[in-house]
Amino acid sequence: MNRKRLLLFLFILISLSLMTYQSNRPPLLPLKSLNSALNVFYDIKISVQEFINAPLRRMLLREEENRRLRTELSKLLKEQQAWQEAFRENQRLRAFLAVKEKEQRYVTAARVIARGTDQWSNTLILDKGLTDGIKKDMVAITDKGLVGKISDVSPSYAYLLLLTDINFSAAARLQESRTEGVLSGTGFRTCQLKYIPYEEELKQGAVIVTSGLDTLFPEGIPLGYISKVSKRESGIFQYIEVIPFVDNTKIEVVAIIRRA
Amino acid sequence: MKYLLWAGITFLTFGIQGSISLFDITPNFTVILASYAGIREKELKGLFFGSLIGIVEDSLSGTFLGPNLLSKGLVGYLAAFLYSKFFVWNPVLGMLTVSLLTIVDSFIVYTARSIFDTMPSGIGAAAFIIAMQALYNAPLGIFLKKKSEQ
Repeated sequence: MNRKRLLLFLFILISLSLMTYQSNRPPLLPLKSLNSALNVFYDIKISVQEFINAPLRRMLLREEENRRLRTELSKLLKEQQAWQEAFRENQRLRAFLAVKEKEQRYVTAARVIARGTDQWSNTLILDKGLTDGIKKDMVAITDKGLVGKISDVSPSYAYLLLLTDINFSAAARLQESRTEGVLSGTGFRTCQLKYIPYEEELKQGAVIVTSGLDTLFPEGIPLGYISKVSKRESGIFQYIEVIPFVDNTKIEVVAIIRRA
Repeated sequence: MKYLLWAGITFLTFGIQGSISLFDITPNFTVILASYAGIREKELKGLFFGSLIGIVEDSLSGTFLGPNLLSKGLVGYLAAFLYSKFFVWNPVLGMLTVSLLTIVDSFIVYTARSIFDTMPSGIGAAAFIIAMQALYNAPLGIFLKKKSEQ
C-alpha cells in the first residue's frame, strides 16, 4: 500500500518537475516521430474513405440531378396543360361566338358547375339564373346541337334537363326524309325516336333535327344521328335508337336561347 | 503480444480521435484506454500504461511533455482505485465514473498547460469542452468492467 502511494507521489513529482524544466526551454518530445506514422494512418484512412465515398457521392449527385429534372419536367407539364386548357377554352369561346352571332334568340352563355344530385336524372346545374335572363323552358344548345331545356331556375342558378333524361321529349324530324317524330330520352346516354311509321326506310347515321312543331324548341337544331333501327313484327312504329350529337360528359358551357 | 495489441489499440485510438469532431470538440478517447488499463491491471500497471499513453499523446500534440503524462497516469491509477475499492460496478456507475475520470484528465491537462505554458482557452470554453468530452465518453463506461465482473 505504501509502495503504491510512494510511487504515485514520485510520479506526480517527476511529471511536475518535467513540466517545470520545460517551461523556459524547448519542449522534450521523445516520441514526436510517431506523428509521421499517424499521418500515414490518416492518409490511408482518407484514401479508404474516398474509395467508399466516391461512388456514393456520384450516386447522390445523380439522384439530385434526377430530382431536379423531375421537378423541371413536372413544371413544364403543368405549363403545357395550362396552355392546352387555354387553347381549348379559346376554341369553345370561338364556337360560342359563332352561335351567338348566328342565333337571334340568344340570351346568355352559362357554365356547367355541377351535375344534378339525383343520380337517376340527367340534369346539370348552370351558374346563371333569373338575374341573367334565364327562364324556365328556355333551350340550351352548343355549336354541336341541342343539349336540353331549362327545367327549373333560381335567381342565380338554373337546372338543365338533358335530352337523354327519361322526362325529355322534343318534336323532331329526319333531316333528309323530313319524316316527323318525337325524340325522347331513355335515361342513359341514348335517345329514342318515336312514332316513325313501319314502312319508312331508315339508314344508320341519318341526322335528326328539331321540327319546331312543339312550339318549344326552334326548328332545325341538330339532335343526333340514328345508331340502331329495329323493325318489330308487331306494332305500327319502328324502334329507333339515336345517339345525341352533344356528349353529356363533355359539356362545359352552353348557350341559352329563347323558346320558339 | 499483449503489449503489441495495446500499442495497436492506442495507435488506432489516436487515429480515431484525430478524425472525429463533434460540435467542433475533439473527443478524449485516450482517457478511456488509460481507465481500461487501470481497471484491468490494478493501480501500478494502470499508472504505468496511463503514463505511456500520456507520453505518446504529449509527443503527438507537439507542445511539451508532461500534462498528458500526469493526467493519464493519474487516471489509470484512479480508475483502478475506484473500481477496486470504492464501488461495485453497474452500468450507471460505470458511466458516471468514466465521465468523472474524463473531467479529471481534461482538468489536469488544462491546468498544467495554463501554468507551465499558455492558457489553451478561456475558462468558460474549457468548462464546456470538458463537459462535452465527459458526455461523449459516458456511454463507453457501460463497457468498462473488471475481469471478474464480465
